[in-house]
Amino acid sequence: MRKAIPTFLIICILTGFLLAFQFTTQNKNASFNAVSQRNNNLITIIHDLEKEIANQEDQIEAMRAQLNDLQSTHSKGKLQDLQTTLAKAKVEAGLTPVVGKGIIITIDDNQEGMKANPNDDPNKYIVHDEHLLNLVNELRIGSAEAIAINGHRLITTSEIRCVGNLINVDMSRVAPPYEIRAIGSPKLMIESISMGKLAELENDNYPITIEESEHLVIPAYRGDLQFKYTNKS
Amino acid sequence: MNKPRWYLPITIVFLFLGIMLSLQFQAQTRYANDLTLQKTENLIAMVRGLSEKRQKLALEIIDLSNQLRSQLESSQDEQKLLESIQLETEKLEIVNGTVEHKGPGITVTIEDYMPIYYTDILNILNELWNAGAEAISINEHRVTSHTTISSVKINLNTERNPLSEDFYMPYITVNHRVVEYPIVMKAIGDPNNLEKALTFPGGIMDKLALFDTYPVITKMEELIIPADQSSHIHFFVSEYKPEEEEASKNNADSKKENNAKNTNAKNTNAKDSNTLRLEKTRTKLIPINPNKKP
Repeated sequence: MRKAIPTFLIICILTGFLLAFQFTTQNKNASFNAVSQRNNNLITIIHDLEKEIANQEDQIEAMRAQLNDLQSTHSKGKLQDLQTTLAKAKVEAGLTPVVGKGIIITIDDNQEGMKANPNDDPNKYIVHDEHLLNLVNELRIGSAEAIAINGHRLITTSEIRCVGNLINVDMSRVAPPYEIRAIGSPKLMIESISMGKLAELENDNYPITIEESEHLVIPAYRGDLQFKYTNKS
Repeated sequence: MNKPRWYLPITIVFLFLGIMLSLQFQAQTRYANDLTLQKTENLIAMVRGLSEKRQKLALEIIDLSNQLRSQLESSQDEQKLLESIQLETEKLEIVNGTVEHKGPGITVTIEDYMPIYYTDILNILNELWNAGAEAISINEHRVTSHTTISSVKINLNTERNPLSEDFYMPYITVNHRVVEYPIVMKAIGDPNNLEKALTFPGGIMDKLALFDTYPVITKMEELIIPADQSSHIHFFVSEYKPEEEEASKNNADSKKENNAKNTNAKNTNAKDSNTLRLEKTRTKLIPINPNKKP
């Protein structure tokens, strides 16, 4: 029994230490929860807005499709020229769904790396807005003609941006795995991306797949085209 | 004799230890991936952005319903239809950059002594679009969905001004052409919003300041953004019409083949005329003569 006392003492001290540690982290969590309680309101607002925006986008998509149909049937006289140029400009701007040969790139967060190094900064293992931004630029260098990320068509004014650690494409949240579809010459595009960001990402062990497709469909841009400040000069 | 009495407490203590350790690890590995774990200020930023987007979408819906109405009433009122097409064309001109535009906004000037990498330019563009920029140019290049930004190393050791050894200097290229300093980025939009988007604490300007790069931001009441000069030829993209596809799928195989032949024929025709034009643009585009002083 005598021999046991010091060992017991050490074990008790250790347990006490851990308990205290545990409590401090739990306290932190509790205060964090309090914050997220306050954030709940904001989250409800965000969900409502996102729902409404999804509805609006559906409506816009339907109206644009209807308009396209009407414009292609109503063609006579001087209107015809105007409408053909308009139709071309729409394809160019990204207002119509398009189809063609291209590639599909999927990238996911490096979850295995994150699990293997749980104490490491998780930022080193997730896909960032800058990765996608660079990939898109490289696809364009490879003469991509139309690009979409997780079903969001990119147009001239599109942005890819982190808010906190959520990636937004034109203010719509996109979640990993990211699927980038690009229509263009598969050879040129793959050559362009594999010299740039993709090689970097592959080195960092992000799971990446590239798939060629003969018949790739990219949806139309569903957002707004509202310009307040720009005028023809 | 002592041993059996020992086992129980030690087992219990180690069990606890194990549980706590695993709890500890869980608490640390969990990382934020959904809204509930975002910071308040980020959520507020999202609410703001989404409200703005909702507003713009509502306006877009009004525009579209007006266009639809005038399209439907076109038999009575051709003038109205022309106006609505005009309006739509003007919007698309802004997106496609087909004509010169003017409006209020900001300019961002980067001088040659400021270290800058092409990804910085990409980031600045991205921030500007996010802040509601409507049209952007970099020097004489209009930024469109085809604009590419990259860099190239140019050997400054030329016959005209020889250096002791080869000296490669990185230059930023836009659409495969070297942009000369000063690099002036112009953006049309709300000048205050655009400026804030670049200068907010922790934003792109703070990041550039770490490398001793201090781009000059000037608010402008009116600036002119040039039209896109490069021509884009689409080789692979064609408009997707789901009804046609389904129809052709439903049809007999022979018809399908015919359709395919027809479209193929059309495509090759289009390509022939385009290749000639492309050849011309390509030679113009071949970007940099490494021996030439920029």
